[in-house]
Amino acid sequence: MVDERVYEMFREIGRDMYVHNLVSSHGGNISVRFGDRIIIKRRGAMLGRLKPHDLIETGLEKNDSGVALASTELIVHRAIYKATPALAVVHAHPRVAIALSLSRDEIVPIDNEGSYLLKKVPVVSVEFASGTRQMADTLAEALKSYKIVFLRGHGSFAIGQTLDEAFQWTDALEEAAQIIMYAKYLNEEMIEYRRMSDSYSSW
Amino acid sequence: MKGWTGKTLLVDLTHGTITTEPLNMDIAPLFIGGRGLGARLLWDLVGPEVDPLSPDNVLIIATGPMTATGFQTSNRFSVSTKSPLTGTVLDANSGGYWGMRFKRAGYDLMIIKGRAPKPVYLEITPAGVTLHDASHLWGKRVAETSELLGQDKNKRNVLCIGPAGENLVRFAAIMNDATRAAARGGPGAVMGSKNLKAIVVEGDERVEMADKERFRFVQYEATKMLKANPITSQAFPEFGTAVVMNIINAIGALPAYNFQQSHFDNADAISGEAIAETILVRNAACWACPIACTRISKTSKGEGEGPEYETTWAFGAACGVDDLEAITNANFLCNDLGMDTISAGSTIACAMELTEKGLLTSDLRFGRADLLEQTVEDIAYRRGLGDELAEGSYRLAERHGAPELSMSVKKLEMPAYDPRGMQGQGLLYATSNRGGCHMRGNMLGVEVLGLPKLVDRFQIQGKASFVILHQNSAAVLDSLVACKFVNIAVAEEYLARALTSLTGITYSTGELIRAGERIWNLERLYNLREGFSRADDTLPPRLLNEPATGASAGWVSHLEPMLAEYYRSRGWDEHGVPKPAKLEELQLADLAAEVIHG
Repeated sequence: MVDERVYEMFREIGRDMYVHNLVSSHGGNISVRFGDRIIIKRRGAMLGRLKPHDLIETGLEKNDSGVALASTELIVHRAIYKATPALAVVHAHPRVAIALSLSRDEIVPIDNEGSYLLKKVPVVSVEFASGTRQMADTLAEALKSYKIVFLRGHGSFAIGQTLDEAFQWTDALEEAAQIIMYAKYLNEEMIEYRRMSDSYSSW
Repeated sequence: MKGWTGKTLLVDLTHGTITTEPLNMDIAPLFIGGRGLGARLLWDLVGPEVDPLSPDNVLIIATGPMTATGFQTSNRFSVSTKSPLTGTVLDANSGGYWGMRFKRAGYDLMIIKGRAPKPVYLEITPAGVTLHDASHLWGKRVAETSELLGQDKNKRNVLCIGPAGENLVRFAAIMNDATRAAARGGPGAVMGSKNLKAIVVEGDERVEMADKERFRFVQYEATKMLKANPITSQAFPEFGTAVVMNIINAIGALPAYNFQQSHFDNADAISGEAIAETILVRNAACWACPIACTRISKTSKGEGEGPEYETTWAFGAACGVDDLEAITNANFLCNDLGMDTISAGSTIACAMELTEKGLLTSDLRFGRADLLEQTVEDIAYRRGLGDELAEGSYRLAERHGAPELSMSVKKLEMPAYDPRGMQGQGLLYATSNRGGCHMRGNMLGVEVLGLPKLVDRFQIQGKASFVILHQNSAAVLDSLVACKFVNIAVAEEYLARALTSLTGITYSTGELIRAGERIWNLERLYNLREGFSRADDTLPPRLLNEPATGASAGWVSHLEPMLAEYYRSRGWDEHGVPKPAKLEELQLADLAAEVIHG
């Protein structure tokens, strides 16, 4: 039985992700780790309209009946939890960031908030970019060093101690991506305001 | 060698010999330094047959790869030994300047063995390392000892014990730079048992770094975090750690009257705000610390350092005292006599309850601020009832037939957070490897301050995962060695990058936390080898049965379900023994063989 406080957090973060255009109607997924158990969004459920029965509990290592109901990306969430200290995972499809990921190997924010919070977000590529072992291992490895990582053409995977922390990295990334896009539209010479900004790529 | 100096100092007090040996680089990267390295060495050097106050116990004083680098709060050192208070593995760490100076004298750590035939002090300077007669210093208090040995924070730093350490008070501190303390669990008594009065260091060797430019960038980004965070940039500098007094009281998690209540009516009188308005002279900082939480205060008895939140609570709310002057004077005395203020205050509170319940004959009653100073003196010199109090609250309460009135875990007195109002805090205390301690994981951050995000303090499900993560993280900070307060604003991803740029060894954030998990499990193995078991992972019955008061009214600690989840989540069996797969994963399987199979 999932604690009511946990459901409330899922419902609020899921709704905010949809409202912020970070996912389409049925896209994205979120989960938390409780020790050797995972609570994850139900496969096919809408993040913007989560009900208590949309929270599926299953094992971190062991399969049980929960896997029949869990998100397609369960394999990725499990790999991330096993490789990193994460207690929560947020996977989204932020649109501008997806567009940027098509042409670069890292997203380096140019706005103050993005630089401050994220420094840089690496972009990784895999051949089969949905629910595969290769994808799970690649993302888990990258998330050992970064709190948010981008899968090219697909979306972001962010980790945190809580869902709202992982959501914060996700929302900050999309905001930073939009600012990069606007600055590109303006096509004016950037006046650098950040000391040591050349070092962000080395983060 | 980058990050580490690569040199260990070995001091055998029984034979008066001093040697050096290279740092063991097979283990250093795995256990980092400070607490982690100390625990690993203690595992080899001090087995279950060793009495903590015998010459066979060792004192390991260790810096870490971060120490003396200039990274924010990189001033600390750690002391590891077997605790005379708890019998568990122990580390206690301290800030100031001494740790930085010891590293700059060219050493990562020193291992002190044996017992000197008469009082001695150790002097470490660029000219060499020598033992000197300390007969003229024995019996002297901390301030005087430090002065006589030439304490100069910018050049020559003194670490010493006071009368409490000499008299083997089980919660005696090792003091450095006159007012800083490595105190919990009684390392000062171990130093006293060795007839070692002081260690003086001089030196100015800079720490070599693998990638200085990258290190500076990480440090720069950390500076932004510390400046932006209101706790590190405003609350702590202005009000000190006691800024949390009113916050904790408001949520009904401030233990009062020896934990008979979980709120204190006059908490405001002993709060950080009250300190700032009445006794504060100025704030001060340890070396390389931009936070500057230290209080320099003045009372009718003079000027001194303190009080911290825990001290204000221990001599205050725990004893039913709201007299800030009396609390501060007791704090000054503890500094000068060299003892842990938390255990001192909590033991006095225990004596007050024993007295009020008719189990002990004494004048100690809740609210008797006038008796605090004399009682502290009596403890340090083991005079009268002080001799009993010097054994700590558990032995005191047990002697008078009521061990349940000791508010301790594994005989270490719990600090100023009531587990009934912060459920995760209770699990943290119960599972702490050195006994009831708040510095083994920042559940205050998780359950009250919202670091990094607020988690409901009454939530039970999933709380074990937070406790585990923060225990592992705390083990990392204690091993780097860095202050816990830097981690309020600066996350582990910064620390991992700083460590990588210092040592040239790549630590991902995940690997760094894994090192903390390795250290935690090794300490668990140590305690299992000493005979500790699941039965010791508990809280005083009061917290499990008697409901809280104030804003947490009606709550008790729901420890059992959290503990079961904790063991599962740690990869331990139902008895709290790490499973072979976990030990294999953490590269501890070889060490564990004698515990698991022996």
